[in-house]
Amino acid sequence: MIGRLRSQTSSASKVIVDWMEHRAGIVTAMEHFLYEPVPKRGAWLYTLGSAVLFLISLQFLTGILLLFYYVPTTDHAWNSVYYIMNEAYFGTLIRGIHYWSANFLMAMIGLHMAQVFFSGGYKAPRELNWIVGVVLLLLVIGLAFTGYLLRWDQDGFWASVVGIKIGSYSPFVGAYITHFLLGGDAVGPATLSRFFAIHVWLLPAAIAPFIGIHLYLLRRHGVFGSEFEYSERIAKMHEHQRMEEYARYELSDDEHEEEDGYEGNGRGRYDGGR
Amino acid sequence: MTELQKDPITRSDFLGFGFIGAIMGAILTIPPVAFVLGPVIKTDVLGKSDISKGWQEVGKVSEIKAGEPKDFTIEFPLTQSYGDKSIQEKAPSSPRSNKQFTLRNAVWASWKTKYKPNGSQGKVSRPSFLDQKTEGFSQSEIKEIEKNLNVLSNSCAHLGCPVRWVITEGEGEFLCPCHGGLYDINGDYQGGPPPRGMYHYKTWEVRENGKLYVKHGYIIQDRPDATQPYVV
Repeated sequence: MIGRLRSQTSSASKVIVDWMEHRAGIVTAMEHFLYEPVPKRGAWLYTLGSAVLFLISLQFLTGILLLFYYVPTTDHAWNSVYYIMNEAYFGTLIRGIHYWSANFLMAMIGLHMAQVFFSGGYKAPRELNWIVGVVLLLLVIGLAFTGYLLRWDQDGFWASVVGIKIGSYSPFVGAYITHFLLGGDAVGPATLSRFFAIHVWLLPAAIAPFIGIHLYLLRRHGVFGSEFEYSERIAKMHEHQRMEEYARYELSDDEHEEEDGYEGNGRGRYDGGR
Repeated sequence: MTELQKDPITRSDFLGFGFIGAIMGAILTIPPVAFVLGPVIKTDVLGKSDISKGWQEVGKVSEIKAGEPKDFTIEFPLTQSYGDKSIQEKAPSSPRSNKQFTLRNAVWASWKTKYKPNGSQGKVSRPSFLDQKTEGFSQSEIKEIEKNLNVLSNSCAHLGCPVRWVITEGEGEFLCPCHGGLYDINGDYQGGPPPRGMYHYKTWEVRENGKLYVKHGYIIQDRPDATQPYVV
């Protein structure tokens, strides 16, 4: 009974997956994005980038949730954070995740950069990915800086004053930067509005495409050293994929036509584009 | 190099594209940029300030003791963004907020004090008549007070944190909690990262009622024309 149920479920899900694959190439894309042969030695070090991506995703998710209660005005910001922390269900958890994963994010980015630096991962042809990574680092620092003020407590307030004042020492543009960030010439309601806009929309909107470029370039050139170094492993993987492909072809020839009426030649799936 | 365009562009085409491109570019960029940079234009081009330029009452001069500065909290009315008072007055029947925003600062006031070569406090020039009376000063007495008073902002000259008066081993000094800037009782630089001494209020006066009044604005030691501090 259970066995039959399971086989039915798996065949149903197979139909759905095939349907999606033929229309959107989802399986190919997933394979392309998820599978990568890495050397056994120090394999865990290659997960640091994924850890950063995971933490940034957490920031997005918990940040969206926090927006349901947070109010960016000087007279209510602190109260709304207090409400989140003390009265909203699981508010402490949601904000705690946002806060701690933000802290953790900086540490992870540091480790990720150190790993790339010491393994020489920034060298040709991956220089552009390093540059995009540095842009991402600056955007994350901007997010950390602007998020600090939003709590509107003494800690965040003075940290932001110090940060803005550091900007005021920049040659030539110091005053303009300061007045841009302050929204005037004093810390007040306009300052909080601006930091909110920058933290919640401007920088997240800017960071998303850069993450996309970062991942695209990563997949284009691979994570680790030279491909020749691991050519054997890659050849083995390609061989394995080819066998799988043949197995599937045989199956569909023997048993049935493509169930979803797709009449293509099926080459879209595994055209060996690597 | 890849040939992007087969047909060479003519001069009139180029000028036409350039002209239209300039107009389109201006239409697309000027509104959002001006929208976002509004406060910069207001402050740096038009020279306006969000902070009220009027007199603010600080406190009684007689409360300031010799050898120890006294801090007073003052609030400058702020008309920034939606805190602009004229918005509240324009539509009295609409559901608007009446919240008044202020810029809260502290003023440290102290008597000018000479320091001995060994660093301990020497002569303090606190007018002696302050022990007898706390208000109703004559013009000459006001002159005497104003000559001997330091009116300092609590904003550290380094990065703007609020400084405190801290007494260690009998000697007091201003200490910034953020990065450890040190100043003496006159607000002069003693140590730490600040590039100069504390900011003195530019416009202040003592009135007959014995109280100190200030306007927002600072003299910056060693740079009288400087436009800093930007953040206070």
